[in-house]
Order: sequence, then C-alpha cells, then structure tokens
Amino acid sequence: MNAVTLDHLSKTYPGGRQAVDSVSLTLEPGEVFGFLGPNGAGKTTTVKLLNGMLTPTRGSLRVFGLDPAAAPEKVHALSGVVTEHAQMYDHLTGLDNLIFYGALFGLDIPESRRRGQKLLAQMELSDAENVKLAAYSTGMRQRLSLARALLHRPSILFLDEPTSGLDPESAQKVHAMIRRLAAEQGCTVFLCTHQLRYAQEICTRYGLMEEGRLLAQGTLESLQARVGSGITLKLRLSSLPAFLEKRAVSLGEHLFALPIRTENEIPELVRQIAADGKDIFHVQAELPTLEDIYFALTNRPKETL
Amino acid sequence: MRSSIFNGQALAIIKKDIAAIVSNRRMFLALLIVPLVLTVIVPTVFLLILHFVPEETADFQKLLELMPIESQPREMPKTLINLLLNYFLPIFFLIIPVMAASVMAASSFVGEKEKRTLETLLYGPLSLKEIFYAKVMASFLLSMAVSVLSFAAMLLVLEIESGLLLGFLAAPKVTWLLIMLLVSPAISLIAVTLIVRFSAKAQSIEDAQQSAIFLLLPILLLLVGQFTGVLLLSGWLLLALGLVCAAAAALLLKRSLHRFQYETLLQ
Ligand SMILES: Nc1ncnc2c1ncn2[C@@H]1O[C@H](COP(=O)(O)OP(=O)(O)OP(=O)(O)O)[C@@H](O)[C@H]1O
Ligand SMILES: [Mg+2]
Repeated sequence: MNAVTLDHLSKTYPGGRQAVDSVSLTLEPGEVFGFLGPNGAGKTTTVKLLNGMLTPTRGSLRVFGLDPAAAPEKVHALSGVVTEHAQMYDHLTGLDNLIFYGALFGLDIPESRRRGQKLLAQMELSDAENVKLAAYSTGMRQRLSLARALLHRPSILFLDEPTSGLDPESAQKVHAMIRRLAAEQGCTVFLCTHQLRYAQEICTRYGLMEEGRLLAQGTLESLQARVGSGITLKLRLSSLPAFLEKRAVSLGEHLFALPIRTENEIPELVRQIAADGKDIFHVQAELPTLEDIYFALTNRPKETL
Repeated sequence: MRSSIFNGQALAIIKKDIAAIVSNRRMFLALLIVPLVLTVIVPTVFLLILHFVPEETADFQKLLELMPIESQPREMPKTLINLLLNYFLPIFFLIIPVMAASVMAASSFVGEKEKRTLETLLYGPLSLKEIFYAKVMASFLLSMAVSVLSFAAMLLVLEIESGLLLGFLAAPKVTWLLIMLLVSPAISLIAVTLIVRFSAKAQSIEDAQQSAIFLLLPILLLLVGQFTGVLLLSGWLLLALGLVCAAAAALLLKRSLHRFQYETLLQ
C-alpha cells in the first residue's frame, strides 16, 4: 500500500484562491519526500488536506489507504504533524506537555514519560524537561514539537517547515535527527520546505511545487536528467588550452567552468589538457543542485526562493 | 459513541483543562469567591440579624403571610430559617454552576486557538465530536464540583450557626435533592454547551465571553424566575420542569456535536 496517494487533488479556498491545482503523486512507505516550493506554492494547504483540516475541492487523496476527509481521526492516529501553527502549552513543562499528548494518543503516564524522556534526550532537551515551555527558545520548541510528533510512533511524519526560525546550526541538528529517525524507525516523511539546500541533504525524492501546481517529481538523479543540464567541470589551470577556448567559460584568474555531459568525459579531457602542456591544480565535477533544477524548471531568478 | 466518550483520551483533555484552571491560583480564587459569598456570607448575615435584632422579624412576619407556608408566631425564627434554606438559597444553585463554568467554557476552544494549541489538539486521534464533548464535560464537571462544595459549605455553616445562635437545626427539604441532582446540573449543562459553542465560533476570548453574557444572561434570568415560582408551588412541578431542562440539555448537546468542522474551527 502507498503511504500517500494524491490523485488530481485541488483546493480552492472560499475566497476563490486556488492553492492546490490538480496535484497527483504517490509516496512509498519509508520514503523521505521533499515537498518543495516558494512561499504560497501550496505546501501547507496540501499538508492540511492530508490531515483532514481542509476538504478537497476536487480530486482524492489517501494516507495509508484512509481518506482524511472522511476519517481524519484515523489518519491522525498514524501520523505525526509538525507545523508552525501547532504549538504546545506554555504553562506546562516540556515533559508534562509530552505526557499530555501521550495520553491524547492513548498512552498511559509511565509509558508516555518513558518515551518522552527518551525523545527529549534524542532532541538534546533533557536539561529542559522540567522547564516550562514559556522559557523555551524557538529552536527548543521546534525540537519538542518533533518529539511530540514522534511520541506515538507514527507511520508517517508531516513536517511543515520544521526548521523555520532556526539558526543554521540548529537547523542542521534537526535535519540530522529527521534523517536518523526516518532510517531507524522506517517512518515515512513528508517534508515541506523552501530551503532546497537542506532538503537535498535528507530527502530521497522530491516534488517541486509552483503556484499550486506540481512542476516535477522524482529522485535527484531523475530530476537532474530531466533538466538535462549535465555536469559543470570546475578547473584551475595555468592557462586555458586552445582546444577549449570555445567551450569553457572563464570564472576568474586561472579558473574555468566547462559544461560536459557525463563523468566519463573527464579522464580523457584531463589527459588532453596535460598533453597540451598546461598545469592542472584543481578539477571538480559539479552536478546541478536542487536549486539549479528548480530555477531551470521555473526560469525564476534565484532570489525568489 | 457513548462508550468512547469517557475513554482515557477524552479524559486527558478534561483533566488538562481542569488542571489549568485549578493551577492558576488567581483564576481559581475568583471562581470560588462569588459562590462562597452567596452561600456562606448571605445566610450568616441573615442569621445574625435574626439573633441580634429580633425586632426586625416583624417585617418578615408580613413576608411570611404572603407565602404558602403555615407558621405559628412562636416558631417564627425556625420558620424563617427553613424558609431561607429551602426557598431562597436554592435559587443560588441555579446561578452558581453557570457562573463557575462560564469562564472556562468561554475559553475552551478560542483560548486554545489564541495560544495556537488548538491545531495540535485537532491533530490528535480524537474526532471533533469527542473533543467537543470533552470540552463541555470539563467545564460541566468543574461547575458541579463548585456547586457541591458550595452546598456543603453552606449547609455546614448554616447548621453550626443555627445550632449555636438559635438553638435548633435547620431542616433541608427533599427538594434540595432535586435541585442538586437534576435542575442545577441540567441548567449548567445547557449553559456550558451554549458557551462552548460560542467559544468554537469566536475569534477571541472576549468575543466568546460577550456572547455568553448577552445571549445567555436573559435566558438564565428567565429560568431562575420560573424556578423561583415553581419552588414555592410544588415539588412535582419542580421535578417536571427539571426533567424538561435535562431533556433540553441532552438534545442541545447531541445536536451541537454535529455542528463543527475543522475548517470552521481553524478560521
Ligand atoms: N485560509 C486561507 N484562505 C484563503 N487563502 C489561503 C488560505 N491559506 C492559504 N491561502 C492561500 O493559498 C496559497 C497557498 O498557501 P500555502 O499556505 O499552502 O502556501 P505554502 O506553500 O505553505 O507557503 P509558505 O512557504 O509561505 O508557507 C497562498 O496564495 C495563500 O495566500
Ligand atoms: Mg506553509
């Protein structure tokens, strides 16, 4: 069974704004899926549809075979959700919050406490377990939210911008945790973010959204093949051989960029440059990043993401 | 549905909501102070007047003549005390539970919305019906607890004072059972259900409180007026009216459970 199936899913808000436009995709169990796009692309709307907080205007969707519009509470029982709008109680401590949400999911107090303390340790929050949430920083809250979402051992995690408002170091930590958890628990992850660089570090597959439409989906390799921009070879040479003058672009003193199609071209190229009597200081093959792919697909200027 | 209503999961919400009120000392004191003033101070003042300025009782004599109660002049203080206990004080117990529950009920949904914890709660494995029911029950149980506490405090103080100052004990009538077990819970449940509904639709706690005051107060006063009359007339009529209220409360709660969708709650 698929973890998630979207079939021509559309959502138009009461005001007439179409936030999701005929999106179709499937997630296999255990995948870490990056749902990517700029502000207003429809990521949060899709997560709300997947959790039954919104009902689709057209199309259908399933989470492990369940229809979130018809049986949201059953979907909730097997999913963990982290979003900016899902906060916890300021007047309770970190651990007491987890114990409450554990009870909400049917765990008894000793079990909630046991699991809660383990997760708090994993999130590096053990020191703060008896501190009231009012005194938590944004990063601590985010990590506690992740602990809360994992408490009932969900089959799928919906993470909507789990690192928004975090400094790069904390964001890195959270991403490392997500990656480890997905691997350890075999949990499916649906990760929404506009930080493509981070997504590339942890996801196994991607969906690229723009203004409610799914532009492309697939693994990094398949997306790279799709935009067909191949590899960029960065070279530092004593000078550019004559036979490359037409193909290479100068990036600065002794620094050149050379587009090639596959890595197989590299050894022969290096031999030719050496045979031409040039000194080679540096050779680096660069694949298009998710950002490159996204901009190639949308023709957007880089600053918009 | 009923079997899942008092499952541990709904109970977790009820406990959390009640604990939040009780642990907020200022809020909790505010909650207790009016009931205690009404049920302890008022009868005490009355008793002190009877004891220290018995000549004032002449005025009460006239009042008694208007009442459908037989009394001999010699038995005056006793009749007056029983009148106080059985015909005047019960009215407080129609108002106290509603007042006690209204603050909590008004913030039940919109309070969580303001703290941005509502969405988290909705992502739990409870249906909206169960969450709504848990919210109503939390306020209702609190109101009943305050009501029972006030009753115990009232009876204790009244009997002690009456015994010490006047030399006899007041005799509560069986109608008290009807009041405490039927009428008062029914009215409280009606009020709580309506206020929780306001809370689910409101955009701020003040919003919900205002709806509660302006829409509920007239209804409450009307009900209290009716019961005050009925109290004097007959126990059977009181029972009938109590049953009608209980049925209305059950119907209202049942219909309210189907009213809400995530989309409207999160707006
Ligand atoms: N409740 C709502 N009512 C009307 N329009 C809405 C509502 N919520 C979102 N929208 C609109 O729907 C579109 C998609 O919004 P959504 O929140 O899904 O985007 P997003 O991809 O999550 O963006 P971000 O990266 O900013 O979180 C936006 O144009 C937004 O203005
Ligand atoms: Mg969003």
